[in-house]
Amino acid sequence: SGELMDLIRTEGQRMTAAQPSETTVGNMVRRVLKVIREEYGRLHGRSEESDQQESLHKLLTSGGLSEDFRTPYPSLRANVIEAINEMLIELEGTTDNIAMQALEHIHSNEVIMTIGYSRTVEAFLKEAARKRKFQVIVAECAPFCQGHEMAVRLSKENIETTVMSDAAIFAVMSRVNKVIIGTKTILANGALIAVSGTHTLALAAKHHSTPLIVCAPMFKLSPQFPNEEDSFHKFVSPQEVLPFTEGEILAKINVHCPVFDYVPPELITLFISNIGGNAPSYIYRLMSELYHPDDYEL
Amino acid sequence: GETIQGLRNSLRDAIDTLSRVDSSVAVSSGGELFLRFISLTSLEYSDYSKCKEIMIERGEIFLTKVSLSRNKIAKLCHPFIRDGARILTHAYSRVVLRVLEAAVESKKRFSVYVTESQPDQAGQVFINLVFTLVNRVKALRKLNIPVTVILDAAVGYIMEKVDLVLVGAEGVVESGGIINKIGTNQIAVCAKAQNKPFYVVAESFKFVRLFPLNQQDVPDRFKYKADTLETGQNLTEEHPWIDYTSPSLITLLFTDLGVLTPSAVSDELIKLYL
Repeated sequence: SGELMDLIRTEGQRMTAAQPSETTVGNMVRRVLKVIREEYGRLHGRSEESDQQESLHKLLTSGGLSEDFRTPYPSLRANVIEAINEMLIELEGTTDNIAMQALEHIHSNEVIMTIGYSRTVEAFLKEAARKRKFQVIVAECAPFCQGHEMAVRLSKENIETTVMSDAAIFAVMSRVNKVIIGTKTILANGALIAVSGTHTLALAAKHHSTPLIVCAPMFKLSPQFPNEEDSFHKFVSPQEVLPFTEGEILAKINVHCPVFDYVPPELITLFISNIGGNAPSYIYRLMSELYHPDDYEL
Repeated sequence: GETIQGLRNSLRDAIDTLSRVDSSVAVSSGGELFLRFISLTSLEYSDYSKCKEIMIERGEIFLTKVSLSRNKIAKLCHPFIRDGARILTHAYSRVVLRVLEAAVESKKRFSVYVTESQPDQAGQVFINLVFTLVNRVKALRKLNIPVTVILDAAVGYIMEKVDLVLVGAEGVVESGGIINKIGTNQIAVCAKAQNKPFYVVAESFKFVRLFPLNQQDVPDRFKYKADTLETGQNLTEEHPWIDYTSPSLITLLFTDLGVLTPSAVSDELIKLYL
């Protein structure tokens, strides 16, 4: 199984190098590697999770320094395939699992704010709308204005929706009860990489002491730390910000169109994922359950 | 005949003697850890001489792992130092020095501000401290890193220029806070006020089973020099050498168990003392 893991690792590196901002790919590869390690460990006859992590305990009592995955086990293949199938079933059910928790968090006559378009948040709000009456304010999230699409979909379910521009976020925040957003990635310290404009929303919410709830499935949790502040940025064509028809101005200025925003963990109140609600300070624990430390660097 | 109990007692005596040194936090926590795992060994093997052999073997492994830990930490920490960063550090920590070396090896350019880390006692102790400081600056200058020594009082002034704060720790407590040279708490508070990341580097054997709620809760035997404790003077008139920095001020801890948020530290400690 050592060879299998090396194969998977190489493929994983290739895939993540192709599109670094899609961290989900890397996350899934790491999950599979962890599954293989676990199955191997189980067949090897050791007790489960106790030996997987580095710990002070392991520092003192373990004999060797690392284990090799040389011993072949015929049933390993079947076990791994079964575990992967379980993972696939879990993946398909994530949105539903998150939506199921909606009723606990949304109450009648509340004003909820969100930004941009997130399928998870859409499902979350739709599920709550079946039993409760509430209002939603959607920040349009310039320049791509995905907020418009979100508003259209929500209003189809008879949820009272208002669209407003990003500049008005702070002004309206005092009337908002909760902020519910989706995200692109969750980092290892509990921070977010989300659409541009989310940091503004988070700061406004903190200022008004409004809870900020992030709905994201567990496959978005990435074991990376925000070590280089600018390394996750992705810039796309500035056409959306300042169209090429304004050629005269374009010659004299620099125009940027960043796609993502970094939101530090202190601004977040709760993460709702398919395995339940968690505080940002608990993320490290979830990470250790999903991934093995040796796989953090693919 | 010799017994495990007897061995445990003599080891405990040895740890007590060793802990009577200055800055004994790390020594005492390392010793506590070692003593702890003896109880684990004795549970597995009832034959005394076999037990002793295994313990010696494990002791060697422990030593190797600990000596590797500084390099492990440096490898984890240096990506957080960007090219062109300005780093503030406090007092003399060999782990921090190793991290800076690793950053230099990965071809990063940065500058360092070091606090004087003064005691407010004159005489013998002052000269020792200057000696330590000069060593530190000399060691960094060898690596061609621009180093500036600043007054302890100038931390608030310099904080706006700094990109990150990097300190070592003498001990890491259960809440995720650290025990370190006096003045660390001040630096942490300033860093928080100006939104600068405060990073701590420490090896895992420094994890201590303490949970101080405030500065008073830190035991006296860690706070003061050994001679001061022995003369039995009125300790309220003595200046402490150690302070406690609470976990809310710390951004991340770099240990050989990985990069941890302060809340993850107590989890690690529980795993050990299960």
